[in-house]
Amino acid sequence: MILDNVIHGNITGLDSVIYGTITGFDLIETVVFLIIAILIARLVVIYLRRSLKDRMSRDIMEITIKVIYYTIIVIAVLFALKRLEIELSGLLVAGGIIGIVIGFATQSIVGNLISGLFLMIERPIKIGDQVDIDGTSGYVEDIHTVSTIIRTYEGLYVRIPNEKVFTNKITNYVANTARRFQYVVGIRYSDDADEAIEIIKDLIEEHPIALKNPSPKVFVDNLGDNAVNIIVRIWAPPTEWYDLKMEMLWKIKKGLEENEIEIAFPQQTVWFANELRKKEVS
Amino acid sequence: MKKSGIFGLHDVPLRIVHEGISFSIERDRRSLLYKRECMDEEVENIFLSSNSRVLINPIEPLNMPKELTPYLLIEFEKSIFIEPMTNRKIFLTFPVEIGIFVHGKKEYQIIDVLTLAKQKFTLYGSVKSGIICKYWKSDVYSTMPDINPIYEGGIELNLTNTTTRWVEVTKAVFNAYGMKIYYSDDMVSMKANMKILSKKIAEISFVGSHLKKGMKRSLELYISRKIPMIATKFLMEEGI
Repeated sequence: MILDNVIHGNITGLDSVIYGTITGFDLIETVVFLIIAILIARLVVIYLRRSLKDRMSRDIMEITIKVIYYTIIVIAVLFALKRLEIELSGLLVAGGIIGIVIGFATQSIVGNLISGLFLMIERPIKIGDQVDIDGTSGYVEDIHTVSTIIRTYEGLYVRIPNEKVFTNKITNYVANTARRFQYVVGIRYSDDADEAIEIIKDLIEEHPIALKNPSPKVFVDNLGDNAVNIIVRIWAPPTEWYDLKMEMLWKIKKGLEENEIEIAFPQQTVWFANELRKKEVS
Repeated sequence: MKKSGIFGLHDVPLRIVHEGISFSIERDRRSLLYKRECMDEEVENIFLSSNSRVLINPIEPLNMPKELTPYLLIEFEKSIFIEPMTNRKIFLTFPVEIGIFVHGKKEYQIIDVLTLAKQKFTLYGSVKSGIICKYWKSDVYSTMPDINPIYEGGIELNLTNTTTRWVEVTKAVFNAYGMKIYYSDDMVSMKANMKILSKKIAEISFVGSHLKKGMKRSLELYISRKIPMIATKFLMEEGI
């Protein structure tokens, strides 16, 4: 009996009209349609992510995928509204009044949303960039419509609301094509600074990642209290900057020591006021 | 002309010791064992294949020591000046990187990349809008130079000055996605066109033809990854 009712759509409530000509079945059908549309959108996202992974940068890929995903969802919602005989113009009028109410209630969410849109247009950061946003440093994992996800260098997940991202100072470490770092190498006064400069220049030239252009600079910067201070400035691709910085300093230290040029350490010469008395004591 | 003797399709087992390059591929029951003991490191890989062959050929010189960029910048040892509305041919050298592929069931898989050439990177253009390029310095030749194909290849560069003024050319930037490399036992070569559009702008594209008869087309790495939206030409907009 129950089965028969299901087959003929006679279960109480389901075939009854909810509004206009829309029945409970129409409502269920529309919900099922929306679920299928979401599933299709997700399948498309999985397929695109797999096929585009090796072919374009992660940043462009994520934006492309998001646009396609939301386009499918929006089209499905429009079809669903039409199926439920909901007029968009009616929604807009109702939305005007409800919008004011919701607007006050969701002020911060809307602020984050608009900031997110501006972030996507201005693009001060991209997915995969190394950034510092208001003291949080790390890799940009994702840029959502209301928040930005940062994976810190310690591996922490940090969610920053887009409004905060947009209004705070952003330092993007990889926005430019090259980045410079600097060392101060202090050698003894008895060592030959010209020779030290040549050795350091050769070491930089030998390293493939240290850029040929902009050319590295190695020069005596000042005559310090304990050492002749040589400034070493090297340019590198921003993604390789940190590794090169760590590697080169030790190479320079070893290279100088192999040539009997030593890194100076703080020292003080003490002069006794009365040398004779010192002799008497001894 | 020096002969490399290592390029081409080889049967397994294979052992090559040649001018600082040393590697072997041995059969081990139903698998292949690849061993390399040069370039300051030891590499060992296992390939689950029984009847594969090994292809060794020059590939785009942009994989070593690290794949950072698809662009190769060749700086000329001496600047060249080309007269207005003229077409001239010059020859340059480029660093050779050797790709070792395993070939089985009609598919190729890269095993290793070797090089004996000096590695260096540079920036083309400004820090803000420039690009990182692999760097190479070359003399400018009027004919194909006599070079060792294990270390260096030769590019025939066809310069076309489309402007009405003399133009100085000091460098050329090549896009790996368009590279067409040919090889024989004694030569590795490419052919490219450099169309000078203004005093500071030029377009560089590759030509798919060999320099002499009998040369084989290399199996390139960047071609297999190529998708239609990636440009194969390079527009030098930050100076030539």
